[in-house]
Amino acid sequence: MQQVVTGVVLDLDGAPVSFTFENRHYLVSSKPVRWYSRRVWWQEAPAAPRGSGSALVEVEMWRLWAASEFDRVFLELKHLQPEDVWEIYRIDS
Amino acid sequence: MSFVHLNVASAYSAHYGVNRPEHLVGAAAEEFDALAITDRDGLYGAIKHIGACIASNISPIVGVSLSVKTDNAESRVVILAHGHNKGRGWSQLCRVISKAHQSKSKQPVIELEQLAQLLTEDSFCTVLLGGESLVGKTVLANPQLAADEIAVWKKLLPKPGGLVIEVTNLLAEPGLIYSQQHARAMLDFADQNNLPAVLTNAVRYLRQDDALTADVLDSARHLEPLGLFELQPNAQAWLKPAEAMAAIALEITEDTQRAKTLLATTLRLADRCRLDPTADCSWGVPKTPEQQALGIDENPFEVLWQKSHAAISWRYPSVRAAELAQIQHRLSKELIAINQLGFSTYFLTVADVAQMIRDMKIRIAARGSGAGSLVNYLLGISGVDPIAEGLLFERFLSTERSTLPDIDIDVEAARRHEIYRAIFRRYGGSRVTLLSMQSTYRGRGAVRDGGLALGLEDEEIDEIAKNMWRFSARNFRKAMGEKPELARFASESRENRSLNLLVDITERLDRLPRHISVHPCGVILGNSSLLDLTPTEPSGIGLPMSQFDKDDMDPMGFLKLDVLGVRMQSAMAYAVREAKRVNKEVIELDSIAKDDQLVFKQIRTTNTLGIFQIESPGQRELTGKHQPTQFNDLTLQISLFRPGPMKGNMIKPYLDGRHGLAQPDYIHPDLRPILEESYGVVVFHEQLMRIMQKMTGCTLARADEMRRMLGKDAKVPAIEKYFRNSALARGYSKSVIERVWSIIEGFGSFGFCKAHGAAFALPTYQSAWLKTHYPTEFIAGLLTHDPGMYPKRLLLAEARRLGVKILPIDVNFSTNEYLVEKTEHGNAVRLALNDIAGISTPEIERIICEQPFVDIPDFYQRARPSRRTLERLALIGALDGLAGIAGADSQSNRADLLVYIRQLCAKRPKAIDESQLSFELGSLQNLPTGNPAPSNQEKLDDEIAITGMDISEHEIQKFQQMLDELGVVRANELVGLRSNTEVLIAGVRVATQTPPMRSGKRVVFISLDDGTGCADATFFDEAQRRCASLLFQNRLLLISGKTRRTGVRGVSILAENAWDLRQLWRDWESGSYSWLKIDSNLMIST
Repeated sequence: MQQVVTGVVLDLDGAPVSFTFENRHYLVSSKPVRWYSRRVWWQEAPAAPRGSGSALVEVEMWRLWAASEFDRVFLELKHLQPEDVWEIYRIDS
Repeated sequence: MSFVHLNVASAYSAHYGVNRPEHLVGAAAEEFDALAITDRDGLYGAIKHIGACIASNISPIVGVSLSVKTDNAESRVVILAHGHNKGRGWSQLCRVISKAHQSKSKQPVIELEQLAQLLTEDSFCTVLLGGESLVGKTVLANPQLAADEIAVWKKLLPKPGGLVIEVTNLLAEPGLIYSQQHARAMLDFADQNNLPAVLTNAVRYLRQDDALTADVLDSARHLEPLGLFELQPNAQAWLKPAEAMAAIALEITEDTQRAKTLLATTLRLADRCRLDPTADCSWGVPKTPEQQALGIDENPFEVLWQKSHAAISWRYPSVRAAELAQIQHRLSKELIAINQLGFSTYFLTVADVAQMIRDMKIRIAARGSGAGSLVNYLLGISGVDPIAEGLLFERFLSTERSTLPDIDIDVEAARRHEIYRAIFRRYGGSRVTLLSMQSTYRGRGAVRDGGLALGLEDEEIDEIAKNMWRFSARNFRKAMGEKPELARFASESRENRSLNLLVDITERLDRLPRHISVHPCGVILGNSSLLDLTPTEPSGIGLPMSQFDKDDMDPMGFLKLDVLGVRMQSAMAYAVREAKRVNKEVIELDSIAKDDQLVFKQIRTTNTLGIFQIESPGQRELTGKHQPTQFNDLTLQISLFRPGPMKGNMIKPYLDGRHGLAQPDYIHPDLRPILEESYGVVVFHEQLMRIMQKMTGCTLARADEMRRMLGKDAKVPAIEKYFRNSALARGYSKSVIERVWSIIEGFGSFGFCKAHGAAFALPTYQSAWLKTHYPTEFIAGLLTHDPGMYPKRLLLAEARRLGVKILPIDVNFSTNEYLVEKTEHGNAVRLALNDIAGISTPEIERIICEQPFVDIPDFYQRARPSRRTLERLALIGALDGLAGIAGADSQSNRADLLVYIRQLCAKRPKAIDESQLSFELGSLQNLPTGNPAPSNQEKLDDEIAITGMDISEHEIQKFQQMLDELGVVRANELVGLRSNTEVLIAGVRVATQTPPMRSGKRVVFISLDDGTGCADATFFDEAQRRCASLLFQNRLLLISGKTRRTGVRGVSILAENAWDLRQLWRDWESGSYSWLKIDSNLMIST
């Protein structure tokens, strides 16, 4: 289930600090862990010319705790490039 | 912050690494002062890595990624050699790798005990246990197993520094291998076990972009489409800069001090592993077998001197005093140069091998510039007299260079492995290995593995691969826009995402090493330390093979002997053998006179099929124009038909001069003796060297040096200055100097080495001689050893044309060779059993062993053919004699025989013992009668289907009525036609070539055989477009075009269009003539 978050604010290392999801404003409340996940480029990409490889192969992920006025959740943010779109995945903990 | 990458796989980790060592080092040198290469299972890329490091002035580090087996499991570790220990680390690494390749398992693996034994107490290697090791795989999931495993390792490798933990953070998903958590756990694990920890990035590509290529390589390694196996975690395993690695260290440790320690330990290990190429790998130091291995105890130079002088009377038996003086003068000059370079042992070694081969009664000939050396001629390495042919030693060996010269020898292909084994026996397994070669991805292979990765259907990939014709895969997309046979694929790929992706990944795979195999001719001969310097692995032929390829030989100072198997030498040896066996005639092929006019007459007919080097369509055409009359003409013709001289446009002025159409221009009387043989055209390197010597007064050695530099633009001005000044000083006029210099400057890479041409001309002449005087024996040799570029059925057509009698396959007479048989009408060639589709080697062996047979049941019982083989033998008439149905008056026919065979085969399962079977077979009645006999056409179709050859008559015969009606011209009639005559030709495709053209445009040559000879058609752009789909596919063709006369006996067809002959035949038979309107050029009345 992909859902998009907006208004993502980043720190100097590119790590998310806060964002908005379903009209709630969240603050990141743990040290976010950055990792890189796979993309299935052979099912998605229209072409793979030289230079396009890294964006086709991997996608930046952040695993973190975030808190809003109403709740505190453990989740993952997927940062899609080059679109600069952030998707949210809730992790059951 | 400095850092050194200690775990780096190059593209020589086949189907794993992505970048060549040169590229990795080139990029690393901008930032690092050392770089490791740790390819999987071997040192395949190590020499290129060291060479690149030397060129970039950084320290090379070399290791390997190897599977090690403990009681717990088999897993991969990295083993790095320490440096600056006089090669002990390098030698241990080599021996560890060789040991792993001796394992009986499918993949190389070494047992930990064996590894520990090889590393002994004096360990000069360090083992890195990282993410691919059992420790790495279990440190999070099963810490107890990780602890057990490390205990085993520590026990067997107790020496401090021999074992380290490799920490790698590829930012994989938290909790998995190569995640930050995992790296931290590895670091903690190292501390708990009192082991040092080093940081690596487990590099397998240079840039992140290359990760996509790595995915495709993973797919090729797993032989599974993407998605069906575990993928690499992400695109982080690239050669990250030092700063990024420092950041990772901090991320893992979350502690500045600990991060510093991790990085410092890494650098300390790197320092310990920096290699000194000369002291550690004996880089560039020539190595030849020790004197005792060659059986000499005196000074090698003295031995060489004596041997070559003693051979003068052998090579020049009735020489006059003046000539003898010339020979001795030249010999002294050569010997002095050899001694000066310290190559005496090298020459003695090659001579020793040549003598050994001759003692084995195997034909041997030199190839390449080595034929220019009198020493080589006297030592029996070469068979060409360099003095008589005007060849220069300086082209071969020069005191201005110090690399070992290449002496290449050609031997009978069929006995090559025998020679290899003899070399191993003679010099011992510690001094000899075979040479390896890396085959790399080319168009078709790349498209296949790319298609596999994307999960495309096999048939779809096959269809695309079939049209990948002579272009580099990295230009796939460009080729799609240009080549008519790819037009359909191009439009499909615009609609189909997978096909479009396929183009990109095919381009990415191009030229990457794919797998290692035995080099077709290279043997490395070293001293007794050879196995300390190169790792070896088993080869397909049971002899050890070095992991280094030919480009690694010079840097490593290895003596490489090229013993090339040449099928033509086997074919000629076979013809000589058959002449002796059947006719009791002894032919001394190496001593025949080289001026036999019958031989040249035969060559001039242009029926050169089967003659070495001049049977290709292009050479055949050139033969028609050139009309050679003497041995030197063959040398010239072979040398002219090369990419260099063709690009340099040398052929036409040469032919014009030769045929008196143009007055040869020698520019200056001094140059006339040099250029007379080629009518003023500078064809040979040797001629250029002589011109330089004549006009500047330099030595020939210096002249050759300058010739080599002509290829390098930067050096040309200096040569020009030297040439102009020296020639001016020697009194040549400005205009002469100007003209000669323009030739020299343009000569560049265009010329050809005359010694090479002359070395090739010898077997050319010898094979033509056999074809002229012993056509039956020669055809038998060609059929048995298949040396040429054409299918066997064309050899049969040529045999028919020559009047050589062909005897059909017969189980009582045929063997695995094409034997010559005496018949009432002279000698004939008996076709062999080998070409029967599906027949097995044991079946052939049983037939040969049990011959002769009395009847079909006898054959069935003793030769024990499979039912399919038996039926096929019957279908092609191989049982006709045995069944008594060969004669015209026979009651039964082949159809009856087949019925009988089916009955026979049905009996077999019932048989319990031999006597029972004989009884049952005996009870079979005689051949049935009355089944409809197969027509000649059906018999022919069976022959082609089963043997690939049209044995009873030429395949084109069946179309003859239609062809006559269309007015199709026969190949042997073309020579009588005027230029520009519109013609139709038809036949079986025997060759398709797309040679490089001066214009850069592609031209396709198709040769057709119609039983009277070969006709060659040329397809330019327009014609290629008209028959795009036929161009590379159909076998039987009708071609329309215009004749083009190219010389006295040279005619080719400028093609306009082509049709599928079988399709036409079907139309013709059904009375439909619509196809005739396809092209207005076809004005055929029906």
